[in-house]
Amino acid sequence: MELAIFLILSMIGIASALNILIQRHPIYSALSLILTFLSLAGIYIQMQAEFIAVMQVVIYTGAIMVLFVFVIMLLNVKAEERVPNKLIGMRYVGIPLSLLLVTALGLNIFQSFSGQTLRVSDVSTSGLTGNTQSIGKLLYTQYTLPFEVTSILLLVGIVGAIIMAKKEL
Amino acid sequence: MLMDNLQSLRYFYPELTLIVAMLVVVIVDISFNRLRNVLNPLLTIAALLIAAYFTAYVNHGQEANLFLGMLALDSFAQFFKLFLLLAALLVVLGSLHSEELLQVHQGEFFALLLAVTLGMLLMANSINLAILYLSLELVSLTSYIMVGYLKGDRLSNEASLKYILFGAISTGSMLYGFSLIYGMTGSLNLYTIRDAFLSQGVQGFDQFTILLALVLTLAGFGFKTAAVPFHFWCPDVYAGAPTPVTAFLSVAPKAAGFAILVRFLFSGMTQTSGSEWGLVNGINWPLVLIGISVLTMTLGNIAALTQNNLKRMLAYSSIAHAGYILMGSVVLTGEGLKSMLIYMFVYLFMNLGAFLVVTIIYNSDRSFEIGDYHGMFKRAPFLTFAMGVFMLSLTGIPPFAGFLGKLYVFLAVIEKGLFWFAVVGTLNAAVAAFYYMRVIKAMVLEEGNGKTAPLHVSFLNQALLVALLIPNLILVVFWNPIERWTASSVKLFSGL
Amino acid sequence: MIPISYYLLLSAILFSIGVFGTMIKRNMVTIFMCIELMLNAVNLSFVAFARYHSLIDGQVFVFFVMAVAAAEAAVGLGIIVALFRNRQTLNVDEADLMKW
Repeated sequence: MELAIFLILSMIGIASALNILIQRHPIYSALSLILTFLSLAGIYIQMQAEFIAVMQVVIYTGAIMVLFVFVIMLLNVKAEERVPNKLIGMRYVGIPLSLLLVTALGLNIFQSFSGQTLRVSDVSTSGLTGNTQSIGKLLYTQYTLPFEVTSILLLVGIVGAIIMAKKEL
Repeated sequence: MLMDNLQSLRYFYPELTLIVAMLVVVIVDISFNRLRNVLNPLLTIAALLIAAYFTAYVNHGQEANLFLGMLALDSFAQFFKLFLLLAALLVVLGSLHSEELLQVHQGEFFALLLAVTLGMLLMANSINLAILYLSLELVSLTSYIMVGYLKGDRLSNEASLKYILFGAISTGSMLYGFSLIYGMTGSLNLYTIRDAFLSQGVQGFDQFTILLALVLTLAGFGFKTAAVPFHFWCPDVYAGAPTPVTAFLSVAPKAAGFAILVRFLFSGMTQTSGSEWGLVNGINWPLVLIGISVLTMTLGNIAALTQNNLKRMLAYSSIAHAGYILMGSVVLTGEGLKSMLIYMFVYLFMNLGAFLVVTIIYNSDRSFEIGDYHGMFKRAPFLTFAMGVFMLSLTGIPPFAGFLGKLYVFLAVIEKGLFWFAVVGTLNAAVAAFYYMRVIKAMVLEEGNGKTAPLHVSFLNQALLVALLIPNLILVVFWNPIERWTASSVKLFSGL
Repeated sequence: MIPISYYLLLSAILFSIGVFGTMIKRNMVTIFMCIELMLNAVNLSFVAFARYHSLIDGQVFVFFVMAVAAAEAAVGLGIIVALFRNRQTLNVDEADLMKW
């Protein structure tokens, strides 16, 4: 049962990821990407990473993809033209290269870790219950500095987006 | 010694200064319409000086792991912090009278410069993959914005787009490498990762998986240092960015990239029994690094030969210099590391100097083409003299500082018995001489193109030129303090 | 239980699709989407490894990756908007004022 759910979710994920490449209009690509994100969120729930699953939905599909869709609408993006582009040769390099990447990454890691299942034991550390609680604990103890650096990074992101997108400052 | 978050704050003053200054600059920029153009540069310069003071004196002589194993406090980090703060300071001074930047609103430029400096300081002493990733992203993200700062300018837009595309892809692959390392060792801390690699931790894993993880990770670092397979972005980005930003990118993030490369290879991946490479897996790492280094310098130098745009030429030359710096990392000894640091130190002055001259000439002539530099000697003799010194220094001709850097790197390599490697380096320096001499020839020997009015150089720029000339001229004589300083900075690694 | 290698295989496939997409797509916005896909593949393998080692660090790392991805998307799309203002195109092939 568990395996069946995983397989269905991953099939949806892979199919919609491929659909990003097949679609010519960015808005369809964006919608298929959202589907990939949602199926990944399902897989996270299955792995008992509830916090990450919620963040996946809230941040990726809720914030980032909305931003993408917004920009696509704002710029009134047209579908990619069918004319052969200058970099058509990339396709012939790209396909074998990505196949190589899949085999190299996939099969090797697959073999390295094959036969090892995820441990059943509860992930929570130091007696805390629940995934969110233990992440929160870790964020405010060991990972305080990275957490604070993230806030500066987001500030830079805000400043940068304003600088870039505003016509005259 | 492992310090907790509160204890660590005492050693975090330089970074805190930069954070506070960055926020103040943003607020001043919004609130004081008239004063902001004076206040912001002053605030930035003051913050950089205070941070340098804290780094140099307050933290001196301590060694600890801060923030529960996030940052290392050691003399290696101290060297890089002072180096990066100095680079940022020189770039701020050089950007004040740059016509390119004066066209656009400047307030955020200083805030961004402080942010990128903060990111580099964190990068130089991070020993945890999480903080390493975040600081690297802080540097990258801010650089993307700074490159595209002239948003009315198509070249600048395009440069920034190329930078963010290449940057995001290479960080993505670096992250994949991180995830594999995490999967094999179960830790994000570099020291724990090394212990796991050295002990039984990764016995069960295919050598190929380890190789894959390292290659993917090195792609990210290679991007930051613009080493050869990942250098594609470099010429376009350097040509499109505002010149002061180009000057900054060609020195500071590159140095920070080398800092994490060294930290990652030395404290994360190697065991140094004596001075031998005992890298955890059976791959011949020195050979790989030699290959990258040779390719980087050769490709950079050969591509630079054909460039007519001085900014692009300097971009390729900076790729070549990254190759020389990498030479030092091949020798896994204190000597090798020391030579890297010395090279970077002298490279800072000569490269920033060259870019400053480019900025000054652009201010009055609006051109980066070497063809427009003809007859410059008659119009601005002092500027031509300065450019001559910087070019000869970049070539590595004896009386100038650049020679010192090359000498140390070559000596470190020869000491290790890699004569042919030093020969390749020397041949490359000879090739590089052609294009550096071409600039001098254009400025001194060629006839002018009609313009005879003397070139205006502002007082600030003149003072800065002199300040950059002095190290180029005297370091060869006073090399001793530099040598002692760098030698004490790498003690940590050579005794490992 | 599902073997961890299944998750890793899925992650590798998604990563490769992302890399492939950045190579063949010509629309800047779509290229950014492919980069987001690459980051998601990384996240998946981090969560799987975290689960495998019974550690929570990996999930914290994913949290950081998400925050950075948001900032990067904001800046990247800002750059695209700025470029679109000057060029009226989103095709990367037309961003060729400079030659290698």
